Amino acid sequence: MQGNAACAEGAIAAGCRFFGGYPITPSTEIAETMARRLPKAGGVFISMEDELASIAAVIGAAWTGTRAMTATSGPGFSLMMENIGYAAMTETPCVIVNIQRGGPSTGQPTRAAQGDMLQCRFGSHGDYSIIALTPNSVQEMFDLTVKAFNLADRFRVPTFLISDETVGHMRERVTIPDSVDIVPPAPLAEGSLPYEAGEDGIPGFAPFGSGRSVHVTGLTHDERGYPDTTDPEAHDRLVRRLVAKVESARHDIADYEVINPDAERVFVTYGPPSRTVAQVMRDHPDESIGHLRFRVVWPFDESALGKFPDAKVFLMPELNMGQMVREVQRHADQPVVPIAKIGGELHTPAELLQALEAHG
Amino acid sequence: MIAPDWLREDRLPHIYCTGCGNGSVINCTLAAVEEMGWKRDETAFISGIGCSSRAPGYILTDSLHTTHGRALAFATGVKMARPDFNVVVFTGDGDLAAIGGNHFIHACRRNVDMTVICMNNQIYGMTGGQGSPTTPTGAFSTTTPYGASEPAFDLAELAVAAGANYVARWTSYHVKELTKAITTGMQTPGLAFIEVRTQCPTNFGRHNKLRSIPDMIEYLRGNAMLRVKYDRLVEEGADIPEGTFTIGELVRRRRPAMGVKQ
Amino acid sequence: MKLVIDESRCKGCNLCVLVCPYGIFQEGTELNARGIVVPVLDRPERCTNCRLQHLYGRVLCGLCHMICPDQAITWVEEKPFEPHRVEVEF
Repeated sequence: MQGNAACAEGAIAAGCRFFGGYPITPSTEIAETMARRLPKAGGVFISMEDELASIAAVIGAAWTGTRAMTATSGPGFSLMMENIGYAAMTETPCVIVNIQRGGPSTGQPTRAAQGDMLQCRFGSHGDYSIIALTPNSVQEMFDLTVKAFNLADRFRVPTFLISDETVGHMRERVTIPDSVDIVPPAPLAEGSLPYEAGEDGIPGFAPFGSGRSVHVTGLTHDERGYPDTTDPEAHDRLVRRLVAKVESARHDIADYEVINPDAERVFVTYGPPSRTVAQVMRDHPDESIGHLRFRVVWPFDESALGKFPDAKVFLMPELNMGQMVREVQRHADQPVVPIAKIGGELHTPAELLQALEAHG
Repeated sequence: MIAPDWLREDRLPHIYCTGCGNGSVINCTLAAVEEMGWKRDETAFISGIGCSSRAPGYILTDSLHTTHGRALAFATGVKMARPDFNVVVFTGDGDLAAIGGNHFIHACRRNVDMTVICMNNQIYGMTGGQGSPTTPTGAFSTTTPYGASEPAFDLAELAVAAGANYVARWTSYHVKELTKAITTGMQTPGLAFIEVRTQCPTNFGRHNKLRSIPDMIEYLRGNAMLRVKYDRLVEEGADIPEGTFTIGELVRRRRPAMGVKQ
Repeated sequence: MKLVIDESRCKGCNLCVLVCPYGIFQEGTELNARGIVVPVLDRPERCTNCRLQHLYGRVLCGLCHMICPDQAITWVEEKPFEPHRVEVEF
């Protein structure tokens, strides 16, 4: 099965019943699969007029209590930014798949890149926080899509599946379970206000039709959901909660893989560069080479770096000019070396070996 | 009669300026809701950004106050995911015709079953009176200090051309007729588009020698012409004064619609 | 029934003065506590709806109620009900 198709299958298994999309290479197969599969699963597929409308329709559908998602690539992702901020502000659970391609602008439609890692975290204006997952195989396209829906509902936050052309168009064997765990959002408790949160900072969800007459607005709002745009305290309280509800749960959300924790030279990866690292480690078994692979990149769990107490250097192969490396540098005491590659091809094992030797 | 329990009483008085027509449009819409007998947990009001779009915040039901111009796209998502919902979209001329123009024609083309009420005050009111795509040629605003040089959009005709099932235009002065038009729009399967020319004495009037509210009303009433009369005059080849706009029902038809309640 | 203007909502636009066929609403002259000149009622017992709503079982006229952009004009039941002598000019 193809990575994009696995993503669509994962969404349907997770109970996604609304897809609003716009064709864009290399994510189109997700829309195509959804168009074929959703009506038979009792869902709605709609091809919107542009990406602005796609994400808008998805947020609208999410507010009816339907699990909803959209899929796009770089240029479309840029268009979605405004409403991604809206989803963060209104705490709308939804899933956005970005099959990354070379940028900026139209760039390389059929080539892989990891150039949207910071855009997905910081792309919309203002302060907010999101969750982003990075699969590196077709199986993970399925598994992490399911996980993305559960995280989105649990934290009431737009959740991203940030993949790329390589994984999206890769074909591998996939095991699809008979059923997957579906964790619905916590309902809004009787008597509490629509935006009144408990200690975890996550308010209960009262979708449209639940009789609670919720007013949803992108303006700074109070606990009732009513606009309160001039009170500095109301804004401070709201935005700090939006950020804290995700960031304070980062150890809980974290999902990473640790290989050779006693290693001195550690590759830190996410997405497909991890596959080249795995190849290098297979070809050159060496206890002094470690591998830390993130499946969840945002919120960034800095404690993962501590799993390598003997690390002398972190090597970060990325398909961009060094994006996540900034976040790792911020938290690591050791030197962090970017192995940046752009142009649309994965790192070769030789390139990684060269980097290893340079820091051996 | 305005449905009395459909107002968020705790939020009134609203933010609209003195004499703004938007409040009257809210009244007419709620009267139509009352007439339709809609239930609160089956109804959603959706809006974009602007003066008009603050309206759902004063209506006691599930309401979505979204980003600028995108209200129709959000509404499409709500209605397609839950066809059993009654969806009403409040929008303004800047919201609908400028930034949301593409969503507007596509929503009409899809003919999604919802009621779209456009409060057209012919200006960007919320930002302080800039020229919009519906500002009449020659009208003054803060960004057209020498008179608007661009021709204006006729939103109702645009909706007719794009395929909406019901299109009507009234002014916020014609409250009875407007209520009836909104009710008919709500009854019609498919997209119902009701353009309401509203008075904006604060921003449109101030720049166009219509500062007083009665002047602004007179401007609307004087330039409005019933469609049947307009058609007759055209047929007779009579002169039609400049600035005239048609009011009344422009189209009612049965194109295939999406998201209709089963 | 009788007409009331909710002074906490009225913004003094005088649209009611413009539309009432009986001229019941008159432009006010005095500022209220919110700094707004609220219209005053001139012989409000002439209002059609006040007189006849119960008889017909539906809202009659109601233009002021519909056009009031600030949702400030309503009718309330009078308690105890007192019959008025009404003079209607035609």
